[in-house]
Amino acid sequence: MSNSMKNIFKSPNRRNLLKMSGAAVLTTPFVSRAWAATTEINMLAWYGHGEPDIVAEFEAANNVKFVSKYYAGGDNMMALIAQSPPGTYDIILSDGEFVQQLNAAGYVEEMNAADYPFDDMLHEDFTKFPGHWSEGKLYSMMVRGGHLGVSYNKNAISAEEAQSYSCFWKPEIKGKLGHFDWHLPNLGMISLYNGNGSSLWNLDDAEWAAVQENTLSLRPQVGGYFDYGGTFNGLKNGEMLAMCGIGDWITGVLEKDGAPVGSVIPKEGGIQWTESYSIGKGTDKADIVKKFIQYMLSPVGQVKSAQMLAYPGFCITKAGRAALIEADPAEAKRSHQMDGMANEPISLINDGRIHYRDIPKQQSLEDWNDFWSEYKNA
Amino acid sequence: MFNKKFLKIDIYAMTWRSPIIVWQLLFFVGPVIFMIAMSFFLVKNYRMTEAFEFVNWSKMFSKNYFWDSYLYTVTIASISTVFAMTIAFPASFTLAFKTSEKLRRWAIFLLIIPFFTSYLVRTFSWFVILSENGVINALLGYIGFGPYVMLNTNFGTLVGYMTLTLPLVVILQTITMANIDRTLVEAAKNLGCKPFATIWRVIIPLSKTGLIVAAIFCFILSFGDFVAPFYLGGSQEPTLPILILDTTKSGQQWPRAAVVAIVMMITLFAVAFTGIALAYRKKAKK
Amino acid sequence: MNSNRILKIALTAYLGSIFLFVFAPIVFSVLFSFNSQRFPTIPLGSFSIEWYVKIFNDPDIWKAALNSLIVSSSTAVIATVLGFCTAYSDFRYNFRFKGPYIALILLPPTIPLIIMALAMLAWLSKLGMSGQLWSVVIAHSVLTAPFAMAIIRLRLNQMDPDLESASWNLGGSEWATMRYVIIPFCKPAIISGLFLAAAVSFDEFAVSWFVSGLNKTLPVIILEIVQGNIDPQVNAIGTFVFLTSMTLIILAQIFFVHRQIKSTNS
Repeated sequence: MSNSMKNIFKSPNRRNLLKMSGAAVLTTPFVSRAWAATTEINMLAWYGHGEPDIVAEFEAANNVKFVSKYYAGGDNMMALIAQSPPGTYDIILSDGEFVQQLNAAGYVEEMNAADYPFDDMLHEDFTKFPGHWSEGKLYSMMVRGGHLGVSYNKNAISAEEAQSYSCFWKPEIKGKLGHFDWHLPNLGMISLYNGNGSSLWNLDDAEWAAVQENTLSLRPQVGGYFDYGGTFNGLKNGEMLAMCGIGDWITGVLEKDGAPVGSVIPKEGGIQWTESYSIGKGTDKADIVKKFIQYMLSPVGQVKSAQMLAYPGFCITKAGRAALIEADPAEAKRSHQMDGMANEPISLINDGRIHYRDIPKQQSLEDWNDFWSEYKNA
Repeated sequence: MFNKKFLKIDIYAMTWRSPIIVWQLLFFVGPVIFMIAMSFFLVKNYRMTEAFEFVNWSKMFSKNYFWDSYLYTVTIASISTVFAMTIAFPASFTLAFKTSEKLRRWAIFLLIIPFFTSYLVRTFSWFVILSENGVINALLGYIGFGPYVMLNTNFGTLVGYMTLTLPLVVILQTITMANIDRTLVEAAKNLGCKPFATIWRVIIPLSKTGLIVAAIFCFILSFGDFVAPFYLGGSQEPTLPILILDTTKSGQQWPRAAVVAIVMMITLFAVAFTGIALAYRKKAKK
Repeated sequence: MNSNRILKIALTAYLGSIFLFVFAPIVFSVLFSFNSQRFPTIPLGSFSIEWYVKIFNDPDIWKAALNSLIVSSSTAVIATVLGFCTAYSDFRYNFRFKGPYIALILLPPTIPLIIMALAMLAWLSKLGMSGQLWSVVIAHSVLTAPFAMAIIRLRLNQMDPDLESASWNLGGSEWATMRYVIIPFCKPAIISGLFLAAAVSFDEFAVSWFVSGLNKTLPVIILEIVQGNIDPQVNAIGTFVFLTSMTLIILAQIFFVHRQIKSTNS
């Protein structure tokens, strides 16, 4: 050891300490990563869409880097966009029903339908998905979806009981029913429970009153209202034995982790969440964004979406599904994405048991949200 | 000779006095005024538009859940303050009077450490400790008790508030009590005052200012905290900060959320001003 | 046994339990960061460093850590400067509108963070100053200045008010007095103010999330993970932050405070 180094260790005065720590900082991976002149794409999305398991391949092949801003809800997303200068976000991933809001407020660019595989969709509805088109023009491209229904702990609720939302009222789970803290899917489920079927979002005054009444009757069962993190913890730790307002996108992850939970579509019907990509208004990278969206709709991208680490979604193209069955038959089986399986998503839609999540028609979002606050305080 | 100093602007004084005025006007008063203005805006097509309407106020005040939440928040924050101040007191007392200065300094430094760890992460740790299959219930199970439901209850919320406020309260109480005039305490002892009476009638009154400041901070922190009642209390019941976030889910209703925020602000101002007036009030000479 | 001793033992035990309460979540967080399970439960899984590997390999997290350091140190400096100016003005001068003047610096903590966050975002956007790291610095300095001011003000309280006049009488100008008498006297408070402001800024996630745009700080990353992914990466990050800050504090204790005691003793 040289003399000067020995000195550093002998008398740790300030200057030497700074020298040492400076050296330590420089060896961290942060600085040693080569920053080539890559294009940066700013993405606004739910957590997970900008992570390596989804974007790394595309980044490497196209010399781009995704810079992601994650939100925790469509309202978060809208607030962010509203306050950011146009062109801040190049690509926006949003829930299907928020696309209407995005468009109404002028935050997205028009897209060219010919660029996307509309001829390969697994279901006809996906080709003209509500809210994604306006006056014949395409503004948002559907990428994946998932189903919401009864999510339950298999040790507390049997598979037969789970076939109906009525299991939420089961006395044995009093105080152990959780709600995902968002009015839309929860009230939608109660609406389905009331038998409103496909007009679940289109409630007249009497039907809306009935939904409110039944919801309030559920209050004694409720153990809490949770966001993403709280929901996971509640179900995993067994604090909550059933959850209203979620589906496989949460229980799928927990199942893979070994928890005794699952989600099914009950006989009253389930709700579909859909995620779609839009091109941010004012972006100067529309071409590469378009290329990425096409990539996510290609078989490779669809498989990635189905295997997404953050939360799974199902493939929406035929080629995508075929690729998934070949690449990851276990996951395809788990998520019922094989023709002929019970609970296969497309056949569920065809049977009319799935209803796309939408915003209420005859009440305002405010009305539903106000009631949700009342419900919490009840 | 004409006194020039009378006319000269005291540059020295202005140097020290002005930075905060400029800075706060630009970056604090500005946003606050904007927030107040925001409460009168309207939301059209999911976009906030500037307007001057009272509808946000009338709507909010007409909702029962708003007043329920308000009452609950004031109550739970007060309970949290009482708990924190009481729980912290014996510990601060020990640190102020029964430990050496060096040990005290180290203790205070240790207590600053939680500030450098993520409050969110610490809250999540409580899940595993408090859950029905968690550590505490497992330990209680060995001696035949429980399991007790601790999460998603008021108890959970209070545990969360303690996590947030206890370090600060202990630090403030300790610093205050360590700095009071020891000779007065000695005098009381010499005059035959029993220990508990000394605490109650000498130490606490002498520390009044610092203690009230600690209580004010504790109340403000608990009142405005969103994490504890949401994650550890399961939003049972929702407090005003939760309501603010919820309101924004009504399709971008930030103006209405601003109404809730302004009500919170006024409440906290009132608490702070009353507290400070109490803290600095001089006892009337007999 | 002497009742005094019993009391002392009881009090020490009580103090210990308070520390236990404060540090239990931190200890558990460190435990979980080495736990193989993604969702920790009792009993624990096996020992694993996969979460640390994950965060060390993630350049976004390093960038965020750097951002956090930049933001908190800048905030600390600005907040302490502001705090010192205000504390000194409060200490030395009496002037009209002094009440509102003090209120100006002390009020920010009374405003709920979530609305402060949106108001700041909207306001700074109007000024064209949002979405950058220094937007966060501005917002945080407003939030933390009161703490710095309070600490320095308390310290000034301990100063003999005649000290300043004594210095002037001996021929020193106001500026010289400030430089050679007041600032050195306040040094421990200034240092504490710096650290406290840095600490508060370091863990702040609400305002940061809104105002920082795409330049994330570490708390923003933690918030995103908690709200969108929930895995022990947060525990790993938390532990890392905890160890770093503990080291900093201990170093500060050794270099600054220890030295000051040494120099006053010699």
